[in-house]
Amino acid sequence: MSTPVTAIPTTEPVVVNNRATVKQRLTSFMPLIALVTLLAALTIADPGFLTQRSLTAVVQTSAPLVVLAAGATLVVLCGGIDLSIAALCSLSTVIFALWLPDLGGLTTLAVIGAAGAIGTVQGIAHVLLRIPSFIVTLGGLSIFSAIALVISDAGPIRIVEREATNWLTLYVGGIVPMSFFVAMIVVAAIALVLKLTPLHSWVSATGYSESAARLAGTPVDLVKVGAFTVSGACAGLAAVMLVSRNFSGSPTMADNLLLPAVAAIVVGGTAITGGHGSIWRSLVGALVITLLRVGLPIVGVPSAYEQILYGAIIVAAVALTLDRSKVLIIK
Amino acid sequence: MSTASPAEDVEVAAARRPQPRRGVSFRDAGPPIALIVIFAVFSALSPDFRTLGNVQNILDTAAVLAVVTCGITFVLMMGSIDLSAPGIMGASAIAVALLVANNRNDNALGLVGVLIAVLLAAALGCLSGLALVLLKVPSFMTTLGISAIGLGLATLMFAGVQPNITDTMLESWAVDRLLGFSYLTWIAAACVLLGWLIQRYSRLGRYAFAIGGAEEVLSLSGVKVAPYKIAVFTLAGAFYGLAGVMVTSQLSAGLVQAGKGFDFAAITAAVVGGTLLTGGRGGILHSAVGVLLITVLTNGLVQVGVSPYWQGGVQGLIVVAAVAAAVIPQRRRNQVTK
Repeated sequence: MSTPVTAIPTTEPVVVNNRATVKQRLTSFMPLIALVTLLAALTIADPGFLTQRSLTAVVQTSAPLVVLAAGATLVVLCGGIDLSIAALCSLSTVIFALWLPDLGGLTTLAVIGAAGAIGTVQGIAHVLLRIPSFIVTLGGLSIFSAIALVISDAGPIRIVEREATNWLTLYVGGIVPMSFFVAMIVVAAIALVLKLTPLHSWVSATGYSESAARLAGTPVDLVKVGAFTVSGACAGLAAVMLVSRNFSGSPTMADNLLLPAVAAIVVGGTAITGGHGSIWRSLVGALVITLLRVGLPIVGVPSAYEQILYGAIIVAAVALTLDRSKVLIIK
Repeated sequence: MSTASPAEDVEVAAARRPQPRRGVSFRDAGPPIALIVIFAVFSALSPDFRTLGNVQNILDTAAVLAVVTCGITFVLMMGSIDLSAPGIMGASAIAVALLVANNRNDNALGLVGVLIAVLLAAALGCLSGLALVLLKVPSFMTTLGISAIGLGLATLMFAGVQPNITDTMLESWAVDRLLGFSYLTWIAAACVLLGWLIQRYSRLGRYAFAIGGAEEVLSLSGVKVAPYKIAVFTLAGAFYGLAGVMVTSQLSAGLVQAGKGFDFAAITAAVVGGTLLTGGRGGILHSAVGVLLITVLTNGLVQVGVSPYWQGGVQGLIVVAAVAAAVIPQRRRNQVTK
């Protein structure tokens, strides 16, 4: 990225870079390789799997997960973690169901905005109070669950009026489900904004070395608050997708999406230590996780193994992608 | 050479705590004072709260959380974090329900069954310690993974049919009373005592403190840190296992969800009691006060008419506030927070 100014060291980094890229290429394509292998394995196990209908179903199922993981990836890239996404998503489904009768078509935007604002609050708490991000978001997790339970009276809220979410159940070009299309747009938009603005270097500088980034004049605090805001807004959008599928809002609807989302991020190859990774990787990671989820019953494995698999995958993927040069002491 | 003396300092500090006077004494005295104040406030607000029956109730409710917190305190003292309580508790709760007399199979192992469940839990805890030390994965990730694995194991053992226990011994733990308190409360008290003894008099407890205070210094002075880390996670797992057994005893049935929310409640209790998340401060007795604080607060809020659904939210606010308060003195120095 940055070429050394002096003449002598230029040769050295080039050599190092070349060596690194061979290894990097393999590791960076691992998620894609895993995705293709999984697809192939599932097709062998059940030849009917590789049809348009079942693939459409898979990507439709994956849409909320993709959006959740994409938002949280930004926080992870900054070196933090957002454990509140699933709870915030559940809360957003409840808010959506409650606001729909009054706001009608505007509800979607309002919910995304509200979730984004909640994310901002978490970011500000993290930055101003200097509380580690996993504590802030763990606290957020219980607070959001509590609020969702209280305002929904601990039960699902049915949605009678389905026009506001109907557009998400359509198909683009008759093939691609709208929800997945929207998820792709979100991923592409975030990736594009990162690429075209200095944001990408700001985010990865914050993740790689926060104190160096601060000294270099990066608005570290703003970047972090921004990351939490996007993460919150994505949780809101994922909530709208869930509502469009389930026709109800419920205080625990998305709670079981936390582990898959974290797994998607780390399986994609984004380092939990921050800096290294990208949004696209999380998209691939989310697809891998969805395929696993859908595929286990096809291969004949009881779904109880799903949890065990998530746990093992998270630990293994983090172990593979961790940037060990940075943390001398692992707590 | 110069590294040896700070290491000694750390250990001396753990043993006698003669550190900076004012700050420490306030930190130690704060939580008990808060406990008394909160108790007084709720006693004034609600006539139901200030009955002897309710005090028994509070202590009986606190029992399971106290045992979980005993385990998590050792992990927090090292500066690590443990989110594995729900999974480990779920696994041990189902395991014990299947091992003692129950409606699913012919096992009737009694106390041996309890022991096996606790050992299973200790093995799971050991696994997260191993992943931390060998794979160098941060503890919040390993324990999140282990929690999922524990829940998966529990679901496998659950197999769609709820195991109801018929073992009289285990059932009596939650029902029978000794000097006005249920057996579970006495078990929790014994755990706190055991935890305190380990923390105070065993090398494991002393090193756990030292690891949290200054791990580099400790390893530079020749202590092999890794085995102690694994041992601490194993010990924590065993405590979670016992807590899972206690939940099964309370419900007379094994549930996968036995440990839901206990990880966060225990972290809250430990932090409120004065254990720093950065490690090296606090201890079992601090955490015990924290557990009572949380339980009194929860009980009191319900007594004055606040919806029990707020319970988790209140804990969330408390933990964020407590951590923020603990960080304020070091705000200027601590520029990097992940």
